[in-house]
Amino acid sequence: MPDVFNWQINRAMAYPYEEARPQRQAAAVFDTNKCIGCQTCTMACKTCWTSGQGQEYMLWNNVETKPWGSYPLAWDVRELELLGPQHWDGDTYGGKTIFEAAPAGEKNIAWKPTDMDYAYPNRGEDEVNVTLTVQRYHLKLPHDMWFFYLPRVCNHCTYPACLQGCPRTSIYKRQEDGIVLVDQERCRGYRVCFEACPYKKIFYNHTTRISEKCVFCFPAVEQGYQPRCMRNCIGKIRSFGFVSTPDAVREDNPIDFLVHVRKVAKPLYPQFGLEPNVYYIPPIHVASDAFLTMLFGPGARQAIETYRKAMEGDDPELLGALLLAVSTDRIMTRFEVKNGEVRGWAENGEEVVRMPVKVPTVERPPFDPELNVYRYNIT
Amino acid sequence: MVDASTHTGLSRRRLLAGGLAGAGAVALAGCITDPDPPDAVPGDEVWVARVGRVPFDDPSSDAWKRTTPTAVVMDAQTIALPHRPTPVVPEIAVRAVHDGASIAFRLDWDDPDHDDLTVQVDGFRDACAVLLGPGAGDQAIRVMGSAETPVVLLHWKADWQRDMEQGVQGEAEVYPNRSVDVYPPLLLEVPRDVTADDYRAADATEWLPGLHVGNVLSADTRATCVEKLLAAGFGTSTTAATQDARGRGERGEHGWHVVLSKPLAGTEGNEPALEPGRSYTCAFALWSGSARDAGGRKTPSLNAFRLSLEA
Repeated sequence: MPDVFNWQINRAMAYPYEEARPQRQAAAVFDTNKCIGCQTCTMACKTCWTSGQGQEYMLWNNVETKPWGSYPLAWDVRELELLGPQHWDGDTYGGKTIFEAAPAGEKNIAWKPTDMDYAYPNRGEDEVNVTLTVQRYHLKLPHDMWFFYLPRVCNHCTYPACLQGCPRTSIYKRQEDGIVLVDQERCRGYRVCFEACPYKKIFYNHTTRISEKCVFCFPAVEQGYQPRCMRNCIGKIRSFGFVSTPDAVREDNPIDFLVHVRKVAKPLYPQFGLEPNVYYIPPIHVASDAFLTMLFGPGARQAIETYRKAMEGDDPELLGALLLAVSTDRIMTRFEVKNGEVRGWAENGEEVVRMPVKVPTVERPPFDPELNVYRYNIT
Repeated sequence: MVDASTHTGLSRRRLLAGGLAGAGAVALAGCITDPDPPDAVPGDEVWVARVGRVPFDDPSSDAWKRTTPTAVVMDAQTIALPHRPTPVVPEIAVRAVHDGASIAFRLDWDDPDHDDLTVQVDGFRDACAVLLGPGAGDQAIRVMGSAETPVVLLHWKADWQRDMEQGVQGEAEVYPNRSVDVYPPLLLEVPRDVTADDYRAADATEWLPGLHVGNVLSADTRATCVEKLLAAGFGTSTTAATQDARGRGERGEHGWHVVLSKPLAGTEGNEPALEPGRSYTCAFALWSGSARDAGGRKTPSLNAFRLSLEA
């Protein structure tokens, strides 16, 4: 079995196919500190793609609350339990990936859901991490308890478990943009992919009896537009573009900047070993380093420190890059922060965003001498 | 290929003895009570007796008494991942007949569960298959043929049979109490469940992606419960353009009795044609829905068999 290099776990790992990265890789960054759980992204995707008969239970995009939520039920807890110990030696993952932990006769270790596991997408929603008692939590800031929203889509992984699982090669990764798709003609509904994906983002259609998944709105991406879930985000948490490998970083590429330069954007459960391409800015109010590392890898705490500095005004370039999120429906491949302004350009060179980093404010004195009146209700 | 007209008289006597003993063993015509008749004998051959008319989809037909069943030892599947490490049953009984125009197989095996729904994400089906190829018992057929030696598969599916008998199954059958509001873009006057025809009328079949692209598994009508496929190696099985296979399964006391039949002539360019008096290669496989079998997670026959057609 070939060895491929997975930069997120900083080592080589076993994978059934040779390392063959696409010409460029579609990717996204989600800021968990801005997600309000409004589920507009879920609605955008559901309306566009999964409103057909047989697709009712499918949420190609879902938003679950952490720590107690999950869709399907307890997906990550079950996968992590199966995987066993997951320790890091610095930046290098010292445990097993799901491929390396494959039981005899299987391609990877996997939890196999039932229909009912998809029946509770809102379980654990808005539930805080600890049981509330009679303690006076409101007297302490920051609070000891937390929860955050974790929006999830298919990660269009560099080393997809679904792709390598399919015995018929019915799943493929596009050369032009790294988007992973299920061939609807070729699929025969074996559901090896459905079982293999540790993120549980392959779905089986009840009516057509074959499997489907998030397509990263590839028809829009081909035209230079962001996927529906990205561009409809109310909280403006999602940045979409193309990510490079660490050796080919372009500092003026917004995604590269967030992932590789400032390193505030971290992969979800990198220890699975798939090199997922949806990245997260970790939640700043989570106190537990162990929890953060479990979800986002060893750089999560440092990412939070970097992010806080930007929010405090000490990193105008990072602040500007973050502000580009959902500022346009076009895909930006270049950005620049200069003189208090952030600008973004589409691939064809067109400037698609230009805005001040800080919204200009005007202060009006309470008395207007021109009109000789006091200003009331000026807020 | 071996010319079966030189088939030894020993086998013919075995055939006649088996037929008479079989007639005594089977209690009533049309009623199967025992999947393993006492005269099933192991061997490396499946003898295809010539009958007046092939029972295309009737496991209870008297025509099956005309031939001796072959005991087929089953195996684990440990060649292609994901494996099935143990066979679902150790042995099955196989019978075959032809009438000069068509050939039919009957497979009998123990299976306490009846799995015929593939609607839910964890719903898998019972199935069986006959693999046909050239040669005379060439074991190479077990890798699903090759580019040089394409093979034909007849694949019976329990859920396709239920589709035929009860209409194509879906959520309405599995979740009868669910409520339905609307399926955009179908704007119906009152909320009700929808069918593929509703999507067709609205020119919106892309909302059923598998059906839209013509994937046979997604069809909303089922004319046969035996699919004919062609293959040229692992992972290459492809639905044949012409679907002329038929069959049906019946539940017996212990498990399944399934007939799979097809014309002797080949309809596809590379589909091997079968001729009376000649020999070919065959192999068999089972899938157990309750064990989440699908694709390569199957129970194949340990060996390939020489398939000899009575002249």
